[in-house]
Amino acid sequence: MTPDWHAEPVALRHYVAGRIDEAGAASIEAHIPSCWRCRRSVATLIGLGPMAAPLSRIWGGIEERTDPVRRGAIERLVVRVGLPEHIARLLAATRSLRLSWFAAMSIALGFAALAAHGSTDGLLLFLIVAPLVPLAGVAAAYGPGVDPAYEVGLAAPMRSFRLLLIRSVAVLAASITLAAAAALTLPHLDWAAAAWLVPSLALTLVTLALSTYVSSLRAAVGVAGGWVAAVLVTESLSRARLAAFRGIGQLAFVIVALVAAAILANRRDAIDRRSA
Amino acid sequence: MNQAPADPWADPRNDAALVQALAGGDEGALRTLFDRHAPWIYLRLARRCADPAVVEEAVQDTFVAVWRKPSGYRASGEVAAWLWGIALRRLIDRLRRPARLADRFRRVASPLRSPSYERSAEEQVLLGIQFGDLAGALNHLSPELRAVLQATALDGLTTREAARLLGIPVGTVKTRLMRARAQLRKELA
Repeated sequence: MTPDWHAEPVALRHYVAGRIDEAGAASIEAHIPSCWRCRRSVATLIGLGPMAAPLSRIWGGIEERTDPVRRGAIERLVVRVGLPEHIARLLAATRSLRLSWFAAMSIALGFAALAAHGSTDGLLLFLIVAPLVPLAGVAAAYGPGVDPAYEVGLAAPMRSFRLLLIRSVAVLAASITLAAAAALTLPHLDWAAAAWLVPSLALTLVTLALSTYVSSLRAAVGVAGGWVAAVLVTESLSRARLAAFRGIGQLAFVIVALVAAAILANRRDAIDRRSA
Repeated sequence: MNQAPADPWADPRNDAALVQALAGGDEGALRTLFDRHAPWIYLRLARRCADPAVVEEAVQDTFVAVWRKPSGYRASGEVAAWLWGIALRRLIDRLRRPARLADRFRRVASPLRSPSYERSAEEQVLLGIQFGDLAGALNHLSPELRAVLQATALDGLTTREAARLLGIPVGTVKTRLMRARAQLRKELA
């Protein structure tokens, strides 16, 4: 459908350049939706001007958001659940939410669970390893040096602290699911099969709290080392097996988790500031 | 495929056919539609919003929305007009973020709301205006009155949508509309 009337080339040029009176602009704008020739003239004029750059930027963004290949399984899942796209993209860019990461963690947990079939020492090994999975996941999910999406994170329209929480919760949920699945293969499904749960939470929170002071990699290595040492020392000093995971030990981990959570909440400004 | 094809109008398909092709996942069709329509839409939005970043996002949202839901186009009418309708509302969406809960509820509660559902302000303005030196009269309006007139009479927004676009209360839109109409009538009499 092409009407007989067309905007004058001079008027179109003025319109594109923003040098036209309101009535002239109104007239052109009323005409353009029904006239492809004048649309083409506008497109040609804009293509030569300073607006060409934003337009190609816009197209780049559209490509990114519509390309089905770039959207991984996790991203699609997260979008389907109803979370906003930018969160989906951040989670998808989180290294410790990738399939390769899960594979590595599954192998570690699998070996530990296998060892648990052999002896109580094997079970101890499993209980030591299981909480390290979410810890490593959270550490790898956040912070410069480790994170391929760190820059994306900084550019996200979100405060860093919220970002950290969203990612940590996602990683924690995935890791705990994985560890729980591994625990189901343990020889005896008694209290020990769930004894890693509270320590997992505590270690993760301590790592997050520490990472407001030092890099998340250092925090994770430090906490992991401390964890292994504490369990082994408790084990060798105590008469009962798996001493660190029994009543008092669990209570201690609850307290540690609460303290770490309090520190974290207190330090939220430090996180936001560091990335500012 | 970031380099622009030589001429988006070289594609023999018309806009409606391109929109149909979107449903089949034809990315080339999206590119052609973008090259045909994004320039004028961008320009027209930029005349209504001073923040270039918001305009860019609105244009992006528009074509992503079209890509995801090409079925929104009813086979009658100009694709261009359809696109413009989407674009302007996306701009308003971007401007009013964070969305108020009441607005969201209203949107969910009235999915059938179309410009004619709430009496378009277009009629309110143009009713009673006889033809005269309309261009001259328009140019004499103050920028505030003109902006309201543009949003309602030209862009076909409801008074509430116009209020969001311009960042003023609905009541102000209505008063300005009345004033604009009165002034136009006086000048054209």
